[in-house]
Amino acid sequence: MRWFLRYSFLVVIAACIVFFSLWNPVFLSAGNQMNILEGSAILLIVALGMTLVVSMGGIDLSVGIALDFGAAFAVVALKEYDAAWYVAILAGIVGGCLIGILNAVLIVWLNVSAFMATLGTFFIGSSVQRIFTNGGGPISHRRMPQEFRDLAVGDVAGVPTEVVIAAVVLLLYFIFLECSIFGKRIQAIGLQPTAALIAGIEVKRIIFFGFIIAAATCAVGGLIASANIRMFTPLSGFSYLLDAIAAVFIGASMHPRGRPNVVGTLVGVLFLGILANGLNLMGLNFNTKDALSGIILVLALAFAIGQRRFVVLRKGHK
Amino acid sequence: MNASPYFRKLVEWVPVAVFAGMFIFLGIEAPNLFTPFTIDLMLKQAVPTVVVSLGLAVVIMTGGDDVVSGGIDLSIPAAAIIAAAIIADQVTNHGTLLPIALVFALLAAIMVGVLNAFLVVVIRMTPLLATLATSVAVVGITKVITQSKRINVTDPFIVFLRDGTVIGLSAGVVAAGLLTLIYWFLMHRTRWGMQAQATGGGREAAEVSGISTKAYQTISFFLAACTGFLASMFVLARGSGSSPGTEDNLLLEMVLATFLGAAFSPRRKVTIWGAALGAVLVTMLSVGFKSIGVNVFWTGCIKGSLILIVVASAAATARGRY
Repeated sequence: MRWFLRYSFLVVIAACIVFFSLWNPVFLSAGNQMNILEGSAILLIVALGMTLVVSMGGIDLSVGIALDFGAAFAVVALKEYDAAWYVAILAGIVGGCLIGILNAVLIVWLNVSAFMATLGTFFIGSSVQRIFTNGGGPISHRRMPQEFRDLAVGDVAGVPTEVVIAAVVLLLYFIFLECSIFGKRIQAIGLQPTAALIAGIEVKRIIFFGFIIAAATCAVGGLIASANIRMFTPLSGFSYLLDAIAAVFIGASMHPRGRPNVVGTLVGVLFLGILANGLNLMGLNFNTKDALSGIILVLALAFAIGQRRFVVLRKGHK
Repeated sequence: MNASPYFRKLVEWVPVAVFAGMFIFLGIEAPNLFTPFTIDLMLKQAVPTVVVSLGLAVVIMTGGDDVVSGGIDLSIPAAAIIAAAIIADQVTNHGTLLPIALVFALLAAIMVGVLNAFLVVVIRMTPLLATLATSVAVVGITKVITQSKRINVTDPFIVFLRDGTVIGLSAGVVAAGLLTLIYWFLMHRTRWGMQAQATGGGREAAEVSGISTKAYQTISFFLAACTGFLASMFVLARGSGSSPGTEDNLLLEMVLATFLGAAFSPRRKVTIWGAALGAVLVTMLSVGFKSIGVNVFWTGCIKGSLILIVVASAAATARGRY
């Protein structure tokens, strides 16, 4: 029974699927299923970075900036320096790492709280993008090497590359966070930093690299985004922030101890993907769609966290 | 941890010194910036930020100043924007009388506060997550109301808030000053305010001493929503109507102003005065840099660096105390 209640959020997802498929049968078609996966790939990658940060007891408001920097560095490397596609990928990840290093220095060396530090990074990163692009104009690069373009439009044995990349990142995070000693240490830091320190865990070093890894992960999302539209659009990463946070917390509500976890985040991302896709298929007005998805998000979060508080925890205390 | 006391003192004064330095620099670069007329103009610009910062200060003082687990309300600007949109839509598009439109707007703002309180107090959602989600939903609903279009407002009362004067000062500035005074009195001079601050200082200790912390937190979200409603009128006055996308800037300035205010207070705590002062300083800097011809795109960079300087210095002195 508890098992059922803990996973009752899955019932909500199932209800959404039934509703959307009754509204528009196209929703269930194999092509559309793949659309949902493709549409969720970047969000999944960003949300995994967020899962890492929230597991350490922090929050990262600058994930969008890391994504933007990943896209910008890669596109500029390709366009201005005629870099090979793998060099561009590397440049993008380095770009993301810069944001991660800034966060890490602020949080670990200067002792600033993660919220304020990443908010500051968000301000500075947005401003840098505006200055660099002279106000926020996109940098487009139509003659992108096919290998780079394939990050978004190619396929591996029939599966779109972006889905494959997201799956690989998912697997790596699963091994890293759920199956390795580092994952255990990260959970310990998130739950009880002082206890973790006394237990001999190098708390500062792990948090430092944790933020860098998270930002680098988001940069991978930026690479795919830039390959998809063959340009870098400044400040476009911001739209992933709330969805990533929401996915992590929906996922955490399914964990027996309410901790962020990789599988839960995947479920959260798929829920948001299904929602966005379903609302699109309903053919609603743009403004109405925005309002509806916002309201559903609040309801879903309230349900996910509420059922945990009222049902799972209460049962647990008996 | 073993920094010398002199060094610690020095770090403590960094934010104040940085601000003083910036104002001296602006004063030299643009001597006309600090005439009574321009100061009044800058204060007028600051009014909406001052009002929402008061609301955020109340929530933080009651919920505790840990940004993730304590109190924070990121939905105040959204409440202000939806209230402004309702007023503008009702008055301009439907010909409703302003007082009735104000009632609708107040109800909407209160709904936002109630929703926040429900999510945080009953469901026990982290305030950060709850108010962020509320904010997104409310901004979405606002888009439906305005259809993402600008709506002009020419109602005499709103125009009075923009252009009118009371005892030689702009009406908006006087109103914001009064409001600051009221919120200050409520939080710093009444029993209710003291108990609210006790709740923020240590939830469990407050609970043990018989304070109903849930009620205080609920009311704090309600008071914050009220500032959202009040700010909506000044938002309308400042922009002569409701325009889409105002909420982002308001949100950033509100957070910056409130935490900046904490850095200026002796105990590094968020206070009502601090929040109001922070909001004024932030706006003055924005206007000042614009007036000496600094590229607008740099403003975010300057604001971000300011937050970090202030917060890092606060963190450094807090660490020094241990």
